[in-house]
Amino acid sequence: MNTAARCLRVLVVDDEPLIRWSIAETLGAAGHQVAEAEDAASALRAIKDEPGPDLVLLDFRLPDSNDLGLLATIREMAPDTTVIMMTAFGTPDVTAGALKLGASRVLNKPFNMHDLQDIVRAF
Amino acid sequence: MAEKDSTAASDAARWRSIVDSAVDGIVVIDERGQIEAFNPGAERLFGYSEAEVLGRNVNILMPSPYHEEHDGYLSRYLETAAKKIIGIGREVAGKRKDGTTFPLHLSVGEMVVAGERKFTGMLHDLTDRVNLEERLRASEARWRAVVESAVDGIIVIDTRGRIEAYNPAAQRLFGYTEGEVRGQNVRMLMPSPYHDEHDGYLANYLETGRQKIIGTGREVTGKRNDGSTFPLHLSVGETSLGGERKFTGILHDLTSRVAMEEQLREQAALARLGEMAAVLAHEVKNPLAAVRGAIEVIGTRLPPDTRDAAVVKEIVSRIDSLNDLMKDLLLFARPPRPNPLLVDISPLVAATADLLREDPALNAIRIDVEGSAPPVLADPGLLRIVFLNLMVNGAHAMRGEGRIKVSVETVDGECRIAFKDNGPGIPPEIREKIFTPFFTTKSRGTGLGLPTAKRLIEAHRGTIDVQCPVGGGTTVIVQLPAN
Repeated sequence: MNTAARCLRVLVVDDEPLIRWSIAETLGAAGHQVAEAEDAASALRAIKDEPGPDLVLLDFRLPDSNDLGLLATIREMAPDTTVIMMTAFGTPDVTAGALKLGASRVLNKPFNMHDLQDIVRAF
Repeated sequence: MAEKDSTAASDAARWRSIVDSAVDGIVVIDERGQIEAFNPGAERLFGYSEAEVLGRNVNILMPSPYHEEHDGYLSRYLETAAKKIIGIGREVAGKRKDGTTFPLHLSVGEMVVAGERKFTGMLHDLTDRVNLEERLRASEARWRAVVESAVDGIIVIDTRGRIEAYNPAAQRLFGYTEGEVRGQNVRMLMPSPYHDEHDGYLANYLETGRQKIIGTGREVTGKRNDGSTFPLHLSVGETSLGGERKFTGILHDLTSRVAMEEQLREQAALARLGEMAAVLAHEVKNPLAAVRGAIEVIGTRLPPDTRDAAVVKEIVSRIDSLNDLMKDLLLFARPPRPNPLLVDISPLVAATADLLREDPALNAIRIDVEGSAPPVLADPGLLRIVFLNLMVNGAHAMRGEGRIKVSVETVDGECRIAFKDNGPGIPPEIREKIFTPFFTTKSRGTGLGLPTAKRLIEAHRGTIDVQCPVGGGTTVIVQLPAN
């Protein structure tokens, strides 16, 4: 397995356990430290913890959050944390809105785990 | 002798009273045209008393030109005996004492009294009749003008369904001239089943008096002389003309209304489909992402070059196909709003053709791009999707082998892009369905390529049209408005 140039603290926020598992396995194998959150509330708790994550992989739609408000909150709480949005709603409006709020990129679901690895490696 | 005299006197009195009481005017003149008798009927007609006219030339009762010509008529008759009015009668004009004129019917008889020729004129006032006729003529002209200029079709039939009247608007609706339909059964203007049933409807109504359409109105279908049909609203009224029953149909063309309704229905359906597709896409893509991610991770743990690893790869490719289908559906059902830039069409077509050439299954396809047009304001990303769809369709129609000619030109200020393949063309029965979503003739295809192309082009306020020339092949013509 590849060894990451730098070990990142990654938080995966998604209500779909299979997605959390796939990302944790993929990035974990690359040497990163992956935490998981299944909703907005637990995501915010994880971000408050010290030390906070370097990178958040954030699903657009969660049981307790259905818009870009959570992204805005995270950007406010942790301006130095990089956020990558994940969405199955790949509309130009959602993408543009997320980028405007400071997401560093938007991944349309479904995506390739290899691609995700490459994106994270580029940090 | 005295008895004879008294009989003669009583005869004369009887005749006198008949003449005096006659409603019509009676005027007697001599050979020179001088008035010898002028009954009360004539006094009422002309406004002169008998005393005023006795001994005067009868031409005082006539307006020009009869006034000047009457002496001539009389002398000519006396000379030649050619009867122009005597024993016959005709409509002439009379002139009253006050100078006004009026129409009258004049019949002239000739008699000889004590060896002298006399002429008796019987004058019947036609003022009322002429007025009535004029009113009728004016009224008819007015109604005719209304009927002729009506925007709606008007058709009158008799009880056997035969067409008696057919206005110009009806001619515009059906394409037949009045001469072609007059006397024909009105069912010629109807498609089946009305065509076959109309005689029955009519007979049924005449028998039972049960009104199904008379006095009301309904939407029906008309048939033009070229066999095509169109929707119309028909209202039927019943009249009696000269003791015969007639039916008057007023026909209002609903073509544009029906087309507009259809367009609105289609737009509403597309809007609903758009909402559905958006929800569906999310609900499908999320689990697809989960399955794809998990199976990919598991795949990395399998020894490479094993059958299991190959199967996992296949699973991933099936998931990608499903995802492509969702993307196609979303693109059709919820096309993005065009983000217009100035686009040079020819290079864009050429670049799209290069993309197609990369597909190994299509490398026996030759694509030639000809001509050019000034840049248009359009979304290059969306146009590329359209062009790719059209070229892929052409390539598939030619079974992966042949030539696609794309010509770009400016026609009537619009940018016209024609994609011409030399495949087998599209059978006529299929041609009208090719823009229907999910209709496909390919064993593998979503049936969304052309409908999506149409939606994307229409979002650019352009048009897309498919032609299958007699010589074979298919030409798809895209027209985009100039800036």
